[in-house]
Amino acid sequence: MSLTKRKDTLPIPPVDAERYTTVCQYCSAGCGYNVFVWPEKRSGTAKSNAFHVDLSKQGDIMSGFSYTETMHNVITRKNGNRYNLAIIPAKESRINKGDYSIRGGTNALTAYTPTGVTKDRLKYPLLRKENGFVAISWDHAVEIIATLTKKSMDKYGADSVAMKFYDHGSSGLGFEDNWGAGKFFLTGVKTQYLSIHNRPAYNSEVWGSRERGMHELNYDVDDARLADTIVLWGANAYEGATIFYTEHIMPNLQGGSIDEKKREFASGEPADEGRIVIIDPRKNATTTVSQDISAERVLHLRPNLGTDWILANALARIAWENKWYDNDYLQKRTDMKTFEDYKSKSLELAKSLSAFLADAEKITGVSRKEMEEAAAWIAKPKAGGFKRRTLTLYEKGIIWNMKNYDQVAAIAQLNVLTHNVGRPGTGCGRLGGHQEGYVRPGAPTPGSIYAGGPPKNVDKYVTGGGGKIYWVGATDPYLSTPNSKFFKKSVKKRATDLLDYLDNGGIPSDPKAYIAKVLEAFEKTDGLFMVVQDIYKTHTSEDAMLILPAAGWGEAVDTSINCHSRLLRIYDKFMDAPGEALPDWKILALVGNKIKALYTADGNKEMAARFSGMEWKTDAEVFADGAQEFGDNRATEAEEARLSAECYKGVTHEMLRKLGNEGIQTPVRQDPATGKLFGTKRRYQHTFASKDGLFKWYGTDAWTGYPAEIAKYLDNPTYPYWFTTGRSQHVWQTMYHDKRIPEKLMTVPLPYLEIHPDDASKLSLNTGDMAEVFNEEGSCLALVYVNDATKPGLVFGIMFHAKGTMNNLTSSYTDPKTTIPWYKGTKVGVKKYYGKLDDAIKTVSLLSNNDFRTQ
Amino acid sequence: MSDISRRKFLQTTSASALLLFSGLGRESQAASVQSYPSKKIGNIKNLKVNEPLAFNYPDNNSPCVLVNVGKEASGGIGQGKSVVSFSTRCTHMGCPLTYNNGRLVCKCHYSMFDVSRNGQTYQGLASQWVAQVVLRLDAATGNIYAEGVEGLIYGRIGNLKLS
Ligand code: SF4
Ligand code: FES
Repeated sequence: MSLTKRKDTLPIPPVDAERYTTVCQYCSAGCGYNVFVWPEKRSGTAKSNAFHVDLSKQGDIMSGFSYTETMHNVITRKNGNRYNLAIIPAKESRINKGDYSIRGGTNALTAYTPTGVTKDRLKYPLLRKENGFVAISWDHAVEIIATLTKKSMDKYGADSVAMKFYDHGSSGLGFEDNWGAGKFFLTGVKTQYLSIHNRPAYNSEVWGSRERGMHELNYDVDDARLADTIVLWGANAYEGATIFYTEHIMPNLQGGSIDEKKREFASGEPADEGRIVIIDPRKNATTTVSQDISAERVLHLRPNLGTDWILANALARIAWENKWYDNDYLQKRTDMKTFEDYKSKSLELAKSLSAFLADAEKITGVSRKEMEEAAAWIAKPKAGGFKRRTLTLYEKGIIWNMKNYDQVAAIAQLNVLTHNVGRPGTGCGRLGGHQEGYVRPGAPTPGSIYAGGPPKNVDKYVTGGGGKIYWVGATDPYLSTPNSKFFKKSVKKRATDLLDYLDNGGIPSDPKAYIAKVLEAFEKTDGLFMVVQDIYKTHTSEDAMLILPAAGWGEAVDTSINCHSRLLRIYDKFMDAPGEALPDWKILALVGNKIKALYTADGNKEMAARFSGMEWKTDAEVFADGAQEFGDNRATEAEEARLSAECYKGVTHEMLRKLGNEGIQTPVRQDPATGKLFGTKRRYQHTFASKDGLFKWYGTDAWTGYPAEIAKYLDNPTYPYWFTTGRSQHVWQTMYHDKRIPEKLMTVPLPYLEIHPDDASKLSLNTGDMAEVFNEEGSCLALVYVNDATKPGLVFGIMFHAKGTMNNLTSSYTDPKTTIPWYKGTKVGVKKYYGKLDDAIKTVSLLSNNDFRTQ
Repeated sequence: MSDISRRKFLQTTSASALLLFSGLGRESQAASVQSYPSKKIGNIKNLKVNEPLAFNYPDNNSPCVLVNVGKEASGGIGQGKSVVSFSTRCTHMGCPLTYNNGRLVCKCHYSMFDVSRNGQTYQGLASQWVAQVVLRLDAATGNIYAEGVEGLIYGRIGNLKLS
């Protein structure tokens, strides 16, 4: 009768089970986990086991030890033997303290098993033939892609090779793989057509903060428990960085961290329950959970899409008028020359306050009263004149907004104006999506339009016929790139042109003949040779010519940092990768070494040198090699601002293995006096990360309306709804693992749309119906939830889903200053779907996921 | 866990703690024979829609709830297949679940389970769906018996394995 297979008992690891530390493969929180592996037939006992927990007793509530059905699996190692695998949340981690989310709680279910839900992991390199993909050897795969890359570069230049590769930690795996990809593409190939996972270009999403001298990860989890006020701006923490919310924000709202505050604050300084300002057009679960805890300590502002920087400037202007700033701090720590520009363009001091705020009200749709209240919660000194402590975290609602650069800059500046950075309980930066692990040679475009940019738009390049080889690593642009319908159509056509050429007369299986024919096709067609490197087949890999099987989480040794403490830890290898799958760094090293050999054979020393330095044998060597990129990290505590945020120089895998869940916080510095390594808890207490150490102000642009890509819809009655997107609590990214886990797919079986009851009744839509969502860019069929999360006139969709993508609807607009897309806003029409309802409707829950009330 | 959440739990469990002592004494022995006991937990004629009935199963230390959700539910018994039963230990970290309007809600970290959909976590942190009690209806008397549990009760290595 159960919809899924259930267990009512779990295997017990014996005391001598293998034990590893790791970190969750998913979100920015980076919860610590412990891994246990033991032979299938062996068992510990209730009293004596590797958990060192008495399992003969009913477990206590919130004890920090959890071992549930989803935390166990049975794996097969290369030796052919079967082993139990248990992956349980680490109680000793100060990030999660034994807590875990619905995503991380299923880490064990994602492990590769030859007969289970993950059995279709990629195991061998695959080459596309007449009737689909066939397995080939690594030797042939490497020969093919290395020779094609080299010959393409020789004949058409380095820019004939385009790439879209992840650059982050956690699921993508961290520093090791990113250094491998960086060496190959940035030092070796040296193409300008690089792009980062889902997006169209190679850029930081927060140049608006970095170019002010402030890296976006500058706070610690403790600051969320110490803050007087937390601001979540376009950042759905409860559903996106869950444990950061439940372990650090929630206790603060509940008053559970008042004692900690008293210890950390100045004597006499008020220490109360925290407040939260949520700035989001949607009444999402973060809002309603917070309201359930204490409605009077939650302020929810719902600006019109695309207008947040105007709102941030309005809050700053209110703070300015009320003198809620520390002049001494501004003079000492910020650049007063550029401050003039900020005052005139962002604060618009030439305009009267009432005229300024009246304009802001009109643009943002947020009332002056709400603005004044929010500004007071953020900046108004506490009783006794003590500075308020506000932690402001923004994420995709800001980053993937219209005018990325100005949005981020405006929020960073609001926080520095009010001295809400570099003190306990403050900070201003990203909530983060995934974890981080970036170490690469310098990128071709160092910054925004103000610092040598903007970077090239690779989507426009490949869809416009540019490039011969397109290398896609651990990302699925058919789902995740903006304006994905157009992207898919264009890339499919180019891939099909190439395939048709190869197919004419048969696709040779001899690598040399195959290479010769592809090179001929490069000459005669505008075909695109797409390589997909991933752990599963993807939507994009349908049109790949070559698929390379990569190792996943737990199948190689990796390292990453989380976002809320920059906590560097080891993600140890606890199992073998399926078949012949290899870590990404190793795949790129194999190809790099082969290209080097080809150039050496040509006598081309210069090009051979570009591809050298990838002769690594182990993960640890790659990690150590990457560290050199960070330069000299001898610095005192007061000099930490000059260190790169993710600097780990001096740290080794062995050290991290010993530190386990404790880890070390980047940037890691070497103390000049003692040579000892130290982590950095909180950043910018002393100086900022600019040449002279001063924060650099910037005068933001004025409101000039919407870009042409959106403006075309404004007065068109066919597309009456504003449309925004986001994620679901349950599933990670494109659902590459989750679509295989029955519980997950049953709960989120289809792309879905949230619509306000007022709009739904006009369209005769009910929860559980299907709707067509459409505009001139594309369309998507979605399951309907009618609820009050959205406002009348605004609909919300899950960004992408294994069964369809809402990115079909997003425009090709990118911020001209940074080439960052506006994923989160366009306009659409909505119609009731008249086809038959998917069977999934029978098992999905149709209850409202933002209603937690029990009275 | 934050102190506040723990405190909150202590307040909310006092009611269910009382229930721990109200069950039948025999069930703890069932653990040693490894099979679920059959236990009469209520009568269908007395069950009103959305008015949950608390009981313990398969032993005194396992609070559960029996409820008529008023519409067809996965695993439901009775004429409308609308009577279902679940463990009320939250599968996330064990806090007590409250039944409200078709769902079980946990106020520790806000997991919510849909009782007409097999106890699936439709929101929140619990990666395991809540454990569902297998029911049998005696058509003649209307008596409802608990006869098994599908899924693991939180805090146990096995549903019947407590000493
Ligand atoms: S909150 Fe994030 S890191 Fe923690 S368990 Fe969940 S997905 Fe993993
Ligand atoms: S114990 Fe955490 S949600 Fe129930």
